Amino acid sequence: MFFIIKTNTAAVAQPETAAANKAGDDSLMKKWKKITVVLLAAAAFAAVFSVGVSALQGGSFQLLSGADGDLQPEILQRLYDNFIKDDRWKYLAEGLINTLIITFFAMIIGTVVGFLMAIIRVAHDKNGSVPVLNVIAKLYITIMRGTPVMIQLLIIYFVIFAAVDIDKVLVAIIAFGINSAAYVSEVVRSGIMSIDNGQFEAGKSLGLGFPTTMIHIILPQAFKNILPALGNEFISLLKETSISGYIGLMDLTRGGDYIRSVTYEAFLPLIAVALIYLAIVILLSAGVSKLERSLKKNER
Amino acid sequence: MSDDNIVKNGEVLIRVEELYKSFGDNKVLDGITMEIKKGEVISVIGPSGCGKSTFIRSLNLLEEPTGGSIIFEGTDITERGVDIRSVREKIGMVFQQFNLFDNMTVKKNIMLAPVKLKLLTKAEAEKKAMELLEMVGLADKADQYPSQLSGGQKQRVAIARSLAMNPDVMLFDEPTSALDPEMVGEVLNIMKRLAKEGMTMVVVTHEMGFAREVSTRTIFIDGGKIQEDDTPDVVFNNPKNERLRDFLKSVLK
Repeated sequence: MFFIIKTNTAAVAQPETAAANKAGDDSLMKKWKKITVVLLAAAAFAAVFSVGVSALQGGSFQLLSGADGDLQPEILQRLYDNFIKDDRWKYLAEGLINTLIITFFAMIIGTVVGFLMAIIRVAHDKNGSVPVLNVIAKLYITIMRGTPVMIQLLIIYFVIFAAVDIDKVLVAIIAFGINSAAYVSEVVRSGIMSIDNGQFEAGKSLGLGFPTTMIHIILPQAFKNILPALGNEFISLLKETSISGYIGLMDLTRGGDYIRSVTYEAFLPLIAVALIYLAIVILLSAGVSKLERSLKKNER
Repeated sequence: MSDDNIVKNGEVLIRVEELYKSFGDNKVLDGITMEIKKGEVISVIGPSGCGKSTFIRSLNLLEEPTGGSIIFEGTDITERGVDIRSVREKIGMVFQQFNLFDNMTVKKNIMLAPVKLKLLTKAEAEKKAMELLEMVGLADKADQYPSQLSGGQKQRVAIARSLAMNPDVMLFDEPTSALDPEMVGEVLNIMKRLAKEGMTMVVVTHEMGFAREVSTRTIFIDGGKIQEDDTPDVVFNNPKNERLRDFLKSVLK
């Protein structure tokens, strides 16, 4: 019984792994195209279900049941109940889209705010400038890293935006974005600190200002060093969004959970959700290593 | 440089007055007073830890002095409110560790500052970069990255990068100390050529041959103070200071 379930879920996963491999091989893929590929994976996942629909509704269902006795139809029946019946796959699709939206925009907020805070802190460490901003940044990082992201999400939704009618997805983007920013800023700061002080001094000695030195000399080198750690942070971020359901938002996890509550079956919906997360993470890391390699080309 | 503060050959370019620098309790510069005149090539020698590196790094305020003043072309650059960046544009610096920008090609390294500071257009900067690379004999390396160059080549590029700013004075902080022995010559040759062309230079060096043959003045620093300041001939052949004699004995044996 279990064996059959395994083979069937593997069959569900297969097209996605194939998509991941394809993405890894595609030499033209650039960072900004990552999200496109992720959406493609979602489409591939949807395709699996449509194939399932036609298989179940067409004659092949009869054929399979005739050929393999009652075990094969049972798993097909369960797949049908969990994903096809009443268009239940739509909960996963809707959840996946929300998860991707939240992750993508939280990544952008996290990167922008994180870089800014890192630069503030480095400017303070190196030149003693911006003392007030430095204290704010430090406080921010302490609070954001010192409290659970779930509590932050709940506070933002139930306290800060309590009186405001605001889109839950937007709330989640803000919560995960500003949380991620704290981690990104420390990653970026470590990257900047890893650059030899001589690079700063050479910039200074030529009369370049701190911003110019940062943008043209330090950050390009630091970025290359921190890319693996940054990829790590974004993977964590994606998976952390799985608590979005706590503010009543239909994310991927909530979608699977909803199916479970209707069908009273935990295994298939949860495995499906897990596989989708896995597929996105694989694509994300493939994109990061691709970027890493293309940046490495700039030096021997 | 604008016309009203142009410094003619032989006139004072930098005046250092009672310069002090301490790191915590450690007094590194203990009251240095001297003048650098336009066209001079000054070698600064002394035992390691004597403060010579700190001294040269103070001249463009890479080290913030704890006391005293540095008057560059008539302006006390240690005063608050002085635009140190525009001062640094006129003071070139070459480092022991080259400090080329690793993320840019050789040509971009040279072009960056003149273009970003709007002194030259991109096309002008590129032309200038190629001329300078020609001068240091590395025109064929223009599109390579620093990691693909030898130490001597890196230092020659670093010199070209400083020259691209048309500095009024060049500071060299032990420019050959990180080089393999066979590469020291190629860098010194370029420095000699610069000296001959009239560039004002301050060179912290362990190359006694360079100090003796090329420089117009040699300064011996020890204990954060200038112990002897004279022509190379006097410093090397007729040293008055006891510490200098000991130092020369140990490096020239």
